[in-house]
Parts: sequence; C-alpha cells; structure tokens
Amino acid sequence: MIEVNELTKVFRKPVRGEGLSGMVKTLFSRKYEETRAVDGINFTVPDGEIVGYIGANGAGKSTTIKMMCGILTPTSGSVTIDGLEPYRKRRQVAQNIGVVFGQKTQLWWDIPLIESFKVLKEIYQISDTDYAERMDFLGEVLDVTRFLSQPVRTLSLGERMRADLAASMIHNPRILFLDEPTIGLDVLVKEKIRRAIHALNRTYGTTVVLTTHDMTDIEDLCSRIILLEKGKILYDGALKSLKNRFGNLKTLTLTVPAEIRAETAPPLSPELTLSEEEGRLVLRFDADRLALEEVIQYAFRELRAMDMKLAEISVGDVVKTILSQQEAAHAEKI
Amino acid sequence: MLKKYKPFLRAGAMDTLSYRFNILIWAVITVFQVACLVFLWLAVYRSSAGGMDAEIHGFSFREMIAYVVLTTVFNYVTFNNDTLWNINNDIRKGTIGNYLIKPISYRGKFAATSFGSLLTMTLLFGIPFYAAALLTLGGLGFLPDLSFPAFFVHLGLFLVAGLFASLLNDVIAYIFGVFCFYTTASWGLNSLKETLISFLSGTLLPLAFFPAGLREVVSWMPFAGMSQNPVLILMMKYDLAESLRCLALTGTWIVALELFAKLLFSHAIRKVTVQGG
Amino acid sequence: MRYVHLYLTCIKRSMISRLEYKKDTLVALSSFFFSNLCSLAALYFILQSIPALAGYSLPEVGFFYGFSMLPIALDHLFSDELWLVAYRRVKDGDMDMHFLRPVPVLFQVFAETFQPEGFGELILGAALIAVCASNLTVTVTFGSVAVLFVGALFGAAIITSLKIAVAALAFIFKRSGPLLQVVYNFSNYAKYPLAIYPDFIRVLLIFVLPFGLFISLPVDTLLYGKHNPWLLCGAIIGCAAVFFALAVWVWTACERRYESTGS
Repeated sequence: MIEVNELTKVFRKPVRGEGLSGMVKTLFSRKYEETRAVDGINFTVPDGEIVGYIGANGAGKSTTIKMMCGILTPTSGSVTIDGLEPYRKRRQVAQNIGVVFGQKTQLWWDIPLIESFKVLKEIYQISDTDYAERMDFLGEVLDVTRFLSQPVRTLSLGERMRADLAASMIHNPRILFLDEPTIGLDVLVKEKIRRAIHALNRTYGTTVVLTTHDMTDIEDLCSRIILLEKGKILYDGALKSLKNRFGNLKTLTLTVPAEIRAETAPPLSPELTLSEEEGRLVLRFDADRLALEEVIQYAFRELRAMDMKLAEISVGDVVKTILSQQEAAHAEKI
Repeated sequence: MLKKYKPFLRAGAMDTLSYRFNILIWAVITVFQVACLVFLWLAVYRSSAGGMDAEIHGFSFREMIAYVVLTTVFNYVTFNNDTLWNINNDIRKGTIGNYLIKPISYRGKFAATSFGSLLTMTLLFGIPFYAAALLTLGGLGFLPDLSFPAFFVHLGLFLVAGLFASLLNDVIAYIFGVFCFYTTASWGLNSLKETLISFLSGTLLPLAFFPAGLREVVSWMPFAGMSQNPVLILMMKYDLAESLRCLALTGTWIVALELFAKLLFSHAIRKVTVQGG
Repeated sequence: MRYVHLYLTCIKRSMISRLEYKKDTLVALSSFFFSNLCSLAALYFILQSIPALAGYSLPEVGFFYGFSMLPIALDHLFSDELWLVAYRRVKDGDMDMHFLRPVPVLFQVFAETFQPEGFGELILGAALIAVCASNLTVTVTFGSVAVLFVGALFGAAIITSLKIAVAALAFIFKRSGPLLQVVYNFSNYAKYPLAIYPDFIRVLLIFVLPFGLFISLPVDTLLYGKHNPWLLCGAIIGCAAVFFALAVWVWTACERRYESTGS
C-alpha cells in the first residue's frame, strides 16, 4: 500500500545569465529560482491496483515517482510504502519495489543479459527455485529468452526495454514503478509490454504505478488514473467517471463541400465547437446539453454534410481537452 | 570560406570560460605540484658536485625553477581542448553522422574550437599569468638579465611558438581521437597521449637531461615544440637562429601531421559505414 | 559471507565486461605501463647527473619509488570507481540505480569495477624494488619485512579511505573530482625520500596526509633501521583504522544527502 500525504517538492535552481556577460555575472551573484514540482498532493494506492499517473511534461510525474522510490526526499509531506518512508528506509523498501526509468537502463551495458540477471539474483538474494520460476515467467511474458546471451548494448530499444522490465521484476517486488515504460517503442512491443504488466498483476497481485504519454497504455491497463498538472492533482479516479465528469461528450466528423469552413459556418449554439481536422469538419458537443438530433439536422441543413461519423470521445481526447483547457486558463492569467 | 567556422570558435571560447573558471582548484593543484618539483630540484642541486651554484646540463638552479614555473603556465594556457573526448563522444553516440553531412570539415570544426579557447585563455589568463610569473621570477633574480629590445623579439617569437604548440596539440589530440574509431579505450589513449607529450615535450624534465642518443632523436620529433622550445625562446636560452629553426621544424610537423590526420580519418570513416554506426 | 559471495559475483561481471574489450584493456594496460616508465626514466636521468640525491644513491631512491607504487597499485585494483563517482556519476544523475537496490551504496561502488591494470603497477613496483635491492646491502629482519607488508597493505587502505571521504563530497557538491585529484596527487610527494623536504612538508606527509608514514618510514626502517618496526606497524595499522572509520562516517553522512535530479 502506498500512501502519499501532502507531498511537496520544491527545487531551487540557480538562474544562469545569458551570453558572456551573464556568465561572468553568475560567478559573483547567484540568484535562485524556486519551482514547486510537486505541490501538496494526496492519494493512496491499495495493493494490487494498476494506476496510471499522467500529465504533460514537467507536470511533476517523475519527481513523484522518484520520491516514492526513495531517491528524492520530499520538501514537505510524506510518502509511505507499507508504512516505511522510502527515502529514510531506502534499503528495506528497495527489496519490495521494482523500478524502470524508460530513458535509462539499469542493466550492465557490456555483458550478456543473463549475467546482469545473475548479479541481480545475488543482490536481491533470490533463491535458486524462485529465480528459475521467475525466469520462466518473464521469459514467457516478455519473451526475453531469445537474447539472454547477447550483450545489452547490442539489443534493440524494444528488446532492451523488455530486458529492463524483466530486471525490475526479477525479485518479485510487491510494487512496480514504471516511468514511461513504452517510450519510443513500436506498437507491437508496446502491446507485449502491456500484456506482461497485466500478467504480472494478475499472477502475483503486484501493484503498478506507471507514467505514460500513450493513452492506449492507460485505456488498456489502468483501472484508475491520477492526472497531474503543474504539481497538483487535477483528477483522481476511475477512467469511466473521468469520462462522465466531463459529460456525455461526442464527436461528429463530417465530410462537407470545400466552401464550408469552420470559421464561416453559421453557429448553432455556444455548446458546439467546430474545427477542421485532416480536411474534415469535426463537431464536438455534450449530448446531455445539446440534443443529438438537433446537431445532425444542423449538419445536413447548414453544413451540407455528405457523410458523417459519430463517435464517443476517447479518454485520450478527454485528457487532451482537460490539459488544453488548463493551458488556456493559465495563458489567460498571464 | 572560414566564416562558417566562427560559431565553433565562439563555442570554444564559451566552453573555456565556463569550465576554466575552476581556476581555484587548478591553482591549488598546481601550487602543490610546482612546490614538489621545486623541492626535488633544490635537493638535486644541493646534492650536485658544484652545489647550489652548479649548472646542470646548461641549467642553473634559478633557471630550472623559472623553467618549471613557465612550462606550467604555458601548458595551462595553451593546452585546453576536449578534442579527443568530443570525437570519442561523437563516435559512441553516433552524432558523428550529423557532421559528415554538413558542409564543414570535421577537422576544421575542432581546429576552430581550439583556436577559440586558445584566444580566450591567452587574453583572460595568459596575460596576467605570464606577467605575474615573469615579474615574480625576474624580481627574485630567477631570470637571466633580459636585454630589452631583444626580449620583445623573443616575446613575438614566443607568441608564434605558442600558437604552433596549440595547433600541434590539437592535431595530435585529433589523431588520438580518430584512433577511438578503432578502440573504445579512450581513457587509455588519452593517458598515452598525455604521457607521451609530457615526457617528450620537456615538461617532465628538460630534454637536455636525456642521454645524447635519445636527445638527438627526440629533438627531431614534434613534441619539443609543444613546451620546451617555446619556453626556452621566452627565457632567451635560444638565440634568434635557434628559435627560428625550432619554429620551422614545428611548422613542418604541423603540416605533416595534418596530412596524416586527413588520411587516417578517411580510413577510419570507412570503418563506421561498415559497422553501421 | 553474503557480501563476499556478492562481491565475487560482481567482480566476475566486471571481468566479463573487460573481456569484451580485450584490445582496449591492452591499450589501457600499456599506456599505464608506459606512463610509469616515463616517470621512472625522468628520475633516472636526473640522478645520472648528480652523485646522490640528499645522500640517497640511485638504487635507494629507486627503492622508495618502487615501494610507493605498491599501496597505490593495491588501491587502484579495488577502488577505481570512486574517481567516476567524484567526477561524473553523481553529476550525471547516474547513481540512482545504486540507491534503488537493497545493498549499501558504498559496497556497490566497490563492486562495480575491478581494475586489473593495478597488477601491472604492482609488478612494475616489485620489479623495481628487486632490481634496486640487489644493488644494495639490505639487512633483512622479520620486523623490517613485516613493516613493508603492513605499509603496502594498510597504506592502500589509507589511500582508499581518503578517496572514499573526498569522493563522498560529490553527493553534496555534485562533483568532487578536482579536489580528489589534489589530495591524491600528494602521493607524488611520497615517491621520494622525505629527507628532501623541509620540515613542514614532512610533518604534513606523516600526520595529515600520511603518505610518508606508510611509504617513506617503512623503507627507512628496512634500509637503515631508522625506526622501531613494530611500533611503526602499530602506528600504520592504527592510522588506517582511524582513516577508514572516518571515511565510512563521511560517506554515510554525505550519502544521506544524495538527491536524484529533478524531472
């Protein structure tokens, strides 16, 4: 169980001057700029849950993950993992967690993958039987057996990521932190990784906290998402209710004659937004506030639609909408 | 034509500024190192047959101390490039490909960067350091009597020698950098290069101390032009003819090594395309 | 016991890495050998031009130089990773993985690399000692040999301790490599007999940065019976114990302040 309580992290960075004169000035006086990367957040993750931790770049996701696994100390507030604060009881907590930072490998670069696993076996004191069982399981769900004898530097990005995931799971951690585990991978590898995470969660009841920019990851894996923006939690809850909270959003995509443009079309209601995407006209609206029938009639009469496609809005669209609303609100303030 | 290298010159200057400001640490390291050498030479001259007034291989004790101090300052001001590391980085990270498709020469980029840092170092640290070293040494009577009009001629030759030394250092660093195509032991290569230079350039010990045969061989190598010769020109231990001869030799070596570097690079780059990066 | 086993596993790992680059190990080894040879040659050339250095003959000075290489080599074998910690790894945020494992970080740092280059230095130093000793009349006693062993072994422990303490500062200041260089370079002083230095340097080299304590004094004891060997052994071992305890304390204190990079 992970408990996060009023967690805050403030970074102080020296402000560097520009150019030659700036450099000289920096020598003599240091100004600091404070950023609240994480700003008083609270949540609890019960055992066995898969949580998607999402937000734009710089929203504070990695900072939170790093505090949860003990390599950053909170400025105030606390994280506890099964009652222990990871940045204080680092070694005890380390035995129970597995971590993958998508951008960095924790494997030894120059040696065959299997040798890395052997070292990890000793580090985590895994018994021979457990080790054999884990290797079987990981070999199956992540398909790493094929390149076990290759040095890590010769692996493709997808293979390396699978190897890294396997390495983080080898000691059967109760909690797995994955920071962008699918970054830069192709669809098939992503799929494989998602299946592995699912299998792990089902077989061993492992709790998983993952950050990602890929909405498919979220929809496939997470029963719950935490949406972070500028260090604060914007939304925390089930996926479905996120959709509901933002109403019964629908999109209607139209093929229309060339002279019909989003800007010049006669408006129907402020509840309806029009935009042009890939040569089509896209109408977004909340079906609870604006009757579908009315919109369709409008599409035929005023917009002279030749073809149309109705869809429920995806979670990705919801998140995008939320984030862009936030940005717009922020821009207005400035 | 040369204009496109200007950004690299600037980059070299900026780099130098940002990291050479670790000057305090450098000063501490250097003071201890020079002190160690001073103690060693003190013991050497005290133990010599002629005592403290002896001249060993043409160096009096005072000249030796001046030599130690001036080579230290000279090396600090003249040799500061990361050419080898940068090439190694470009190879390991594969960014070398980006340069191959740009309309600039890979070699030219480094030469410009090094020249930028040489200029910055000379203006920023060279002038005050040389002035301080010369005034202190002169004040303590550690320099031979400098006859003035002639000293300015030597000062001028010294500046040329400094430029040559920097160019030589850069092309040698470049050649060792290109060796990184063949081995990943960049660390070993760098230390090999540093040892070679410090031993054969007279930084560790003036070449006059080498046995006759070895000295003859080494005097025809490029290395003496990187440290010993410029400093001895400045100290006026070399007369005009000797100074010019040294400069001519160094100049010839620069051209020869640049040509070698060109050949080596074109051979090495073929290896990259085989490896596929 | 567990840690011995773990250390051996890690070292085996490190050796496999090295074997991946046989050619490179060869380059590193030869460059290393070459650089020692050059310093030796320089010393030889200097001594050729004078009858003796502060009363020490060429083989005697060579003996000092050779013996100084032994503790340095032993330290080099085991603790080379500390240089990387001090110069690069903390600054690059490259230490995170060690903090995520249930094993002490200092242990992991030592287990990360084993430098066989140290053997080259060890062999070169021993050879130099042998050559020089054969040109000297040395009265070998049990005590004077013991003090050499103690000097080399515990001297290595003292060097390593100094490195641990200074490298640990990188956890606070991000980079402590240059400072480490300053401290480590003092070992250059210990390559010559202490007699060539003024008093304050001698005091510094015996009591503060004790390179002289475990290099010069043991050789003085062997060659000239200057000091009581058992007393000196005790002093060196005691010094090593104090330095090591302090080093671990500094490391632990600094490690606690380690922070990964943001974002």
